This record gives sequence, C-alpha cells and structure tokens, in this order.
Amino acid sequence: MRISLPHMGKLYIPFKALFERLDVDYVIPPATSQRTLSLGAKYSPEGLCVPFKLTTGNIIEAAESGADTILMPAGNGICRLGYYVNIQQQILQDLGFNNVKIVKVGVSDDKLSGLFRTVKRLANNASWFDIISAFRFGLQKLNALDEAERSTQRMRAVEKVKGTANQVLAGAVKAVDAAKDDRELKAAKRDYAAQFESIPQKKNVRPLIVGIMGEFYVVLEPFSNFDIENELGKLGVEVKRTTFVSEWTKFNYFLNPLGVDEKERLHRAASPYLKRDIGGEGWESVGEKVMHHRQYDGLVHLAPFTCMPEIIASNIMPSTKENIPVLTVLCDEQMGKAGLITRLEAFVDLLARRRRTKYNDSERKH
Amino acid sequence: MKKIGLPRALLYYQYWPMWQVFFEALGAEGVVSRPTTPVMLAAGSSRVVADTCLPAKVFLGHVLSLVDRCDYVFIPAVRSTRKNVINCSKFLGLPDMTRAVIPECPPILDVDIDIGKGKSQLYREIYRLGRHFTRDPLRIRRAATAAWQSYHEHRDRMVSKQLTLSQVMDETKKPAHVATARATIALIGHPYLLYDEYVNHRLVHRLEQAGCRVVTSEMLAPSALSSAVTRLVGKPYWTYEDEIVGAGEHYLGNKVDGVIGITAFGCGPDSLMMDMVRRQAARLKSVPFMSLTLEEHTAEAGLVTRLEAFTDMLHRRKKES
Repeated sequence: MRISLPHMGKLYIPFKALFERLDVDYVIPPATSQRTLSLGAKYSPEGLCVPFKLTTGNIIEAAESGADTILMPAGNGICRLGYYVNIQQQILQDLGFNNVKIVKVGVSDDKLSGLFRTVKRLANNASWFDIISAFRFGLQKLNALDEAERSTQRMRAVEKVKGTANQVLAGAVKAVDAAKDDRELKAAKRDYAAQFESIPQKKNVRPLIVGIMGEFYVVLEPFSNFDIENELGKLGVEVKRTTFVSEWTKFNYFLNPLGVDEKERLHRAASPYLKRDIGGEGWESVGEKVMHHRQYDGLVHLAPFTCMPEIIASNIMPSTKENIPVLTVLCDEQMGKAGLITRLEAFVDLLARRRRTKYNDSERKH
Repeated sequence: MKKIGLPRALLYYQYWPMWQVFFEALGAEGVVSRPTTPVMLAAGSSRVVADTCLPAKVFLGHVLSLVDRCDYVFIPAVRSTRKNVINCSKFLGLPDMTRAVIPECPPILDVDIDIGKGKSQLYREIYRLGRHFTRDPLRIRRAATAAWQSYHEHRDRMVSKQLTLSQVMDETKKPAHVATARATIALIGHPYLLYDEYVNHRLVHRLEQAGCRVVTSEMLAPSALSSAVTRLVGKPYWTYEDEIVGAGEHYLGNKVDGVIGITAFGCGPDSLMMDMVRRQAARLKSVPFMSLTLEEHTAEAGLVTRLEAFTDMLHRRKKES
C-alpha cells in the first residue's frame, strides 16, 4: 500500500513527517503545476470549483506516481467538498486506475478520533503511542511552517531588497522539511527566526495592511491565487490573514470538541447581517469584514468561481455599515496573472489615497 | 388581514400547498407573485453580483414584485428535511441576502428548517413563525398539522395520477394521453427550473407539443426515489438529492425513451449530482441522456434546436428497434 494526498500549500510536509515516523510507504504527488490544472479541468465536470479541479489533478498525478490509497478531506460542510470523493473516485475509475482507493478524512463529523483511526488502519496498526507522537511531530512542523509564513508576510512589506524574505522562507521550508527530530526542528526554527530578523528593512515606513480572507483552499493554495500574498508584498503591502492550517487544526480537532470556538467572534460580528452558517467560509467572510474594518486598510476576498457560500457573502458584504474596501477575486482556470496584478495595483492605490485623506482629515481637526 | 408575500420561485414549487394552508389557518392571506417575467429577472439580477445563480436572481425579482403588495415576505431557511443531509447555501443565506440586497423589503418571516437538530427545535421554529399571527400554541399546532397533511395529499396526488406540477396547479392542462404519446421523456431537475416557464422557455409545453409524455421526479413515490439514491451513491448528501440522483437513476433504468437533465449555470450541488447521473447514463448505455444548462442568456432558438434533435433521435431510435 502506498499513501498519497492532494496538495494544499505546504501541507505535504507535516504529512510526510507523519508517514515517515509511522514507517508507511508514501508518495508525494508532483507540485501543483499547469499540468495539474489542465488534467483537473479536463476530467472534472465543467461547473465545478477550482479546489475540486486542482485536487483532482493532484489525485490523478498521485495515481500516476504509483499511489494506491489517497487521503482526501470530506465532511458535511454545506459546500460541495463532502461530495468530492464520490466523483473523484469515478474519475479515477474511468481513467483506468481501478485499484486506487480514495479514503475520506473527516473534517467535520467524527473529527479527531476518526482521523486517528484512519491513520492507525493505514499504518498497519501501529501503537497508539507511535501514532500520537508522530502526530505531535507533524503538528510541530505545521506550526513552524505557518510561523515562517507569518514572518514573511510581515517582512515582504518592509524589506529593502525585494525578494529577500521569499528566499528566507524557501530556506526555512527546506530546513523544516529536512528536520528529522525535535532537536533539528528547533534548530531550524531558531535559525530562520534569526534570518528573518536580520533582513535589512526600510526605515520609517508604515505599510498598508490588507487582510486576506475567503474560501479556505484558495486562500491557502498559492497556485490557485497566483501567490496573491507575494504580489501584494511586492506592492509594499503587509498581508494579514486569520486562516492558517495550524490554527484550523488546533481548533477544529482539539479545541472545538472542548467547546472553545475561535470563529465565534467572527460569527457574532457577522450576525447582524448574516444569522446562520451558510457553509464554506461564507459566514466567516462577512464576519472578517465587520470585525477588521478598523484594523485593516482593505480586504481581499478570495473565492473560487461558482462557490455558493462566498457568492452569498459577497452579496451581503456591501450592505454592512462597517466600511472598508473589499476586493473580491474569483479564482478559476481562466484567470490571468496580468489582469489580477492590474486590479491589485488599482486597489492598493485606492487604499493609499484613502489613508492619506483620512490622515489629512484628522490633521485638520486638530 | 395580514398579507404574506410568497415569491413564486425556488421552494415555492415544492411546498406551496403547505404554505398556503398554514398561513390561511392562522388567518393570514398568502399573496403569490405572478409567474416570472423578463422584467422580474432583470430587476432581480440588477441587485446582486453577476455570479449569483439564476434561480436566486429570479427569486429576488419575485420578492421585488411583492414589495408593495404585502405586509411580510415569507422566506424559509431550509437546511435539511431529513437527518444528516445539507442544503445548498443559497437556501440558508436567502433571508439575510434578501434583506441585504432589497432594503425596501417588508419584514421577512424566516424560519429555520433543520431536521438534523431534532424535532423539538423544529416545533419551536414553527411556533416562532406562528407567533406573528396568534399567541395560541394550539392554533399554531393545528395549522401546522393541516399544512403537513395538505402537502402529503398533494404529493400523493401527483404520484397516483402521474401529474406534472403545472397540471396540478392549473386543472385545465390535461396530461398528454399515454397511448398517443410518441415517446416518454423524463425531466430531471429541481422543480423551480422545470416549472418556471420563463426560465426554461416552456420546456414541458414544447415536449408535449412534440408528442412526448413528460415524467418528473414528483411522480415517483419518495421510497422509490430514496432507494434509487442508495443504489447509486449510498448515503444521500444533499437535501434535494432525490430530485436529481434519485429520479435520474430511477428513470435511466425504467423504460423511458430519453432523459433530459436540467441545471442552472453555476449551480453547486447540481454540478456534481447531474454528473453522477450523466456517468450512470454513459455506463448503462441504455437510455439517451441530454443535459441542458439554463442561464439568463440561454437563447430560445438554441434550446429548441437541441430539443428537436433529441426528440427526433428518440423517435428514430424507437422506429428502428
């Protein structure tokens, strides 16, 4: 048996650590590329969203590289995600991969215990101690990666030489991936933290702050959004986002069952405009706008084309009395990079002017 | 008497007898919007972002046409009609979205229908809805029971007499005679697409004119539908999976001459469910299947040409066999 999983950002690194610790045979599909997208778009039903198309492409490429068991998230999330596996399994069959099985990993139903049980089954009944320690190690890698990403988001806006932060990030990802045990991982973390700190910075700049929010997958998979965070960074903008896989895992698997809900604040903020969960991240998107309208200069709302929850959210957002510019970007296989960059430049110009007028207005009052 | 606006769109086609009876029993009057017109659709789509799906735009058009005609608009948020299934987000976001994009809308009566949360929660929601009209819980209970019964009578009638919804709503429309029909065609799709004559360019009428008998998911007993769903996909995932996957699987294996699947462009659940049916049709290779996608720009001529080609093919196929 050979396990694989579709890509989402750098999520393969913690899973690789998990599989290695448990001594499971695995293969990581080739990095998401234009070929992945073409394969996905070719074999998917036309009306489907880009997360489906990209994960389908990944799954096909994983099957080509010899995987026979593919982990794929599923669950009752009101969006199409829960139905993905049904169709993807058929797509694989139609392509002749008859012995490849897609295993659903619960993201909403039986959560942690289900995930543990699935892994235990796949890991030839490894002992619970091994499984939990492997999980812990995987989670630490996940945290380390997200930490590096946060630093990158901050440094891109203020670095003197464009691209320095990206180089450090690439090195950090490599070091985290290579770390074999806790000690090496800690060393890698210390190492990249120091490197981020030593990046030469511009003096006296107060960068614009743009929040990134929207649908989980397109926010976290740089390929699907043309690495929008990097593009914003090039324009001298500091990017902030609340969606991180490590945060999501922490809450979804560990704290939510105990009754702690990090999203409750977002939901409460959204509730004057949207009272109930509409699936995907629709509720949270409205909440982000309401909650962050003072902290951020603007928001970029990422949504896959034909994503129902985000369409509802983008219909509701203009009516909130909390006022902050929102740029909705729809991601699909037809999207062009030049068009996106032009829109981002116009948006950033607008935000800069808005901040200037605000600043001048408050000056005049004094 | 309080007037309750009932937009003739989306779930209205499924539940209108239930809603009418419920509000009448509580001493209110249900005001139904007129059938969809181009003006309604244009008004509805002018309020929302372009990506919003066609049925939702139609719905908002209907709400706009009701703005001056009623005291309340009834917009339920239906999450599930049985355990462990979920519904498309547009149904859940509908009350809030309407409020956001139509600020001039009269107060919205929203009610959360979620069987997954248990019966007591459902009863509480119905009571909350009834409270707008009376404080007498028994009266609300009676109204709800009567509504429930009328819904089932309506469903049973469609199954036993094999009627399409337009035939039930308008008694003058007679079903095409089975004996004279040249072919039987199953239409698979949500009722709000099959029976909105503006949106689908009078599809049912056209098929009947071409000498075809039309059968739909409403003519099948719920048990037949759910067993068909189980056969094809196992546990249902969507609330209205019966209408697509159930009816599709049933008719593909049951002596109809052709199956036409109707979806709206960009419909999330349908993009997957219709694909399930399409794949099953391709696997069985017994019944021809055609899928039609409707959107605002669907041209009538194009639709008619495709229908003609499909029915011609069916007739030829029948003659040959």
